[in-house]
Amino acid sequence: MAARAIWKGELQLGKHSIGVKFYSAIEDRNVRFHLLHEKDRAPVEQHIVRKDTGEDVPKEEMRKAFAVGPNTAVILQPEELEQLVPPESREIEVLRFVPASAIGDQWFERPYYLGPDGGTDDYFAFGEALSRKEMVGVARWVMRKKRYLGAISAVDGYLIMTTLRRAEQVVSFSGIEPARSATPQANELKLAEQLVKSIEADFDPRQWQNEYRERLYKLIEAKARGEKIKPAPVKKKRAEGSLADSLKASLAAAREKKVA
Amino acid sequence: MPSRKRKREPERQAEEERSGAPVRSLWSGTITFGLVSIPVDLLTAVRPRRTAMKLVDTDGHALGRQYHCSKEGKKLDYDDLVRGYETDDGKMIVITDQEFESVAPEMSADIELRSFVPLDQVPPLYFQKPYFLAPAGKSAKAYVLLAETMKRTGRAAIGSFVMRGHEYLVAIVADNGVLRLDTLRYADEIRTPETIGLPKRPKAPAAKVTQFSKEIEALAHKELSVAELEDQEAKKLQSLVESKQKQRDDVIHPKGAEAAEESEAGDSAKVIDLMEVLRKSLSKSAVVRTAEASEPIDLAERRAQRAARSAAPKKKSASTKAKRKAPRKRARRS
Repeated sequence: MAARAIWKGELQLGKHSIGVKFYSAIEDRNVRFHLLHEKDRAPVEQHIVRKDTGEDVPKEEMRKAFAVGPNTAVILQPEELEQLVPPESREIEVLRFVPASAIGDQWFERPYYLGPDGGTDDYFAFGEALSRKEMVGVARWVMRKKRYLGAISAVDGYLIMTTLRRAEQVVSFSGIEPARSATPQANELKLAEQLVKSIEADFDPRQWQNEYRERLYKLIEAKARGEKIKPAPVKKKRAEGSLADSLKASLAAAREKKVA
Repeated sequence: MPSRKRKREPERQAEEERSGAPVRSLWSGTITFGLVSIPVDLLTAVRPRRTAMKLVDTDGHALGRQYHCSKEGKKLDYDDLVRGYETDDGKMIVITDQEFESVAPEMSADIELRSFVPLDQVPPLYFQKPYFLAPAGKSAKAYVLLAETMKRTGRAAIGSFVMRGHEYLVAIVADNGVLRLDTLRYADEIRTPETIGLPKRPKAPAAKVTQFSKEIEALAHKELSVAELEDQEAKKLQSLVESKQKQRDDVIHPKGAEAAEESEAGDSAKVIDLMEVLRKSLSKSAVVRTAEASEPIDLAERRAQRAARSAAPKKKSASTKAKRKAPRKRARRS
């Protein structure tokens, strides 16, 4: 089933403008439940109430307040909030291109596939150029009354826009030198590298499944048929000993596995 | 999602922050790497945006959410609720707490590393949320060894772990001597151009590819510009709030108002807490900062300032303060 576009924009690149449609790259697979009243199985309604009196508050009397201290806040009136809404625009401004390695994964928030809106020539030509250069574009735009930052990359010729976190949100480290007592010995490093090699593989995401979700669906199906499921717990052991001993024992175990 | 305990977590956390209780790690457990085990604490690596707002009424009274039964119209406590799944044919299947528990992942304190993959093979599409891992107890040496080995081999570790009743697929990545844990999406959560229904990729016209390559070159840089990535909305909002506060306009004192919108969890106190752990267990020279390269969060300096304020100034705190100046400048420039 073809997905629906959530937004349309124009990628601005020098004198070029490429029409693109946004599609969520994520499919929500979470199992959704309704909240019910246990006694009569009736669905619940959510009311907004005053915390001190428990009285219902109508929508037109609700305000948003920005906390400035532990117990102090400033109310922002609807017209003031309205002024903060960025002006609507279809434009996606590309600010710069950087090597893909310049953006750490902690910046990435939510990915969207971009699809061509109108002609496909410019869309695929830009994707091809981006792949060949091995670069990622940094862009900003306004979508549904909110400002976004994003990284445009090309995967198999298709464009992906991943929204980015703000600079203030991303924490990074510099200048960490381990204390001498924590610095690994050459032989330990060698053993650890061998251990890494013994269980190295290509990234194959299809081999991992969300087993909890599968069990939950099975439970729901069984209950729909009037059955029940029993859980089967498993226990594991862990070895104790020096770091080098553990590394050696792990290597031996990994070798055995490979032979078997 | 399903567990009731999980649903209550944010409120309890907010409570602790207000009362100034010590900050806990989100999760504590052990990385198992073959037969090597590394005790670690999990801490959030993302600070919340400074745009979060509370819900109040026109007079500034705190507002909150309250469940009502749609049939009886009366107020309900959380304990009066159950969760129901609506089947395709409209039947409501109630799942009890005991049933949720029976299918919940087995409680485990292990992050089991299954394989080491080349870091550049993990597509950005998969990354969901980053956390930092801090060595717990006496694990510093094994922790440093794993970080150093991953750096040398250019690999990330793929594994899984259970937190608050959910099983997460994760990548562990070495980042400047610190281990970061990124939760990953599952393959079936990621769409493809085919499932979306994008047109088939044609052969791109060579002349246009050249034109776009030139456009890319014209804007090519080696690094990100942090200034371009700053939170302009938060800045505008804060300057508005500050000017109103100065004029004592709309300043209120709400007690326990709930967040107006769901926001991403995380707070700077936890980041500082992480530094404390790293400093104790790994290094005396660690400096942490946000990517915006503003004030680095420097615990030694904070402690020195605190010491200077509280008691008679000690020689030690003064010298610590002087030493801290150099890395701080460096952090600002980069």
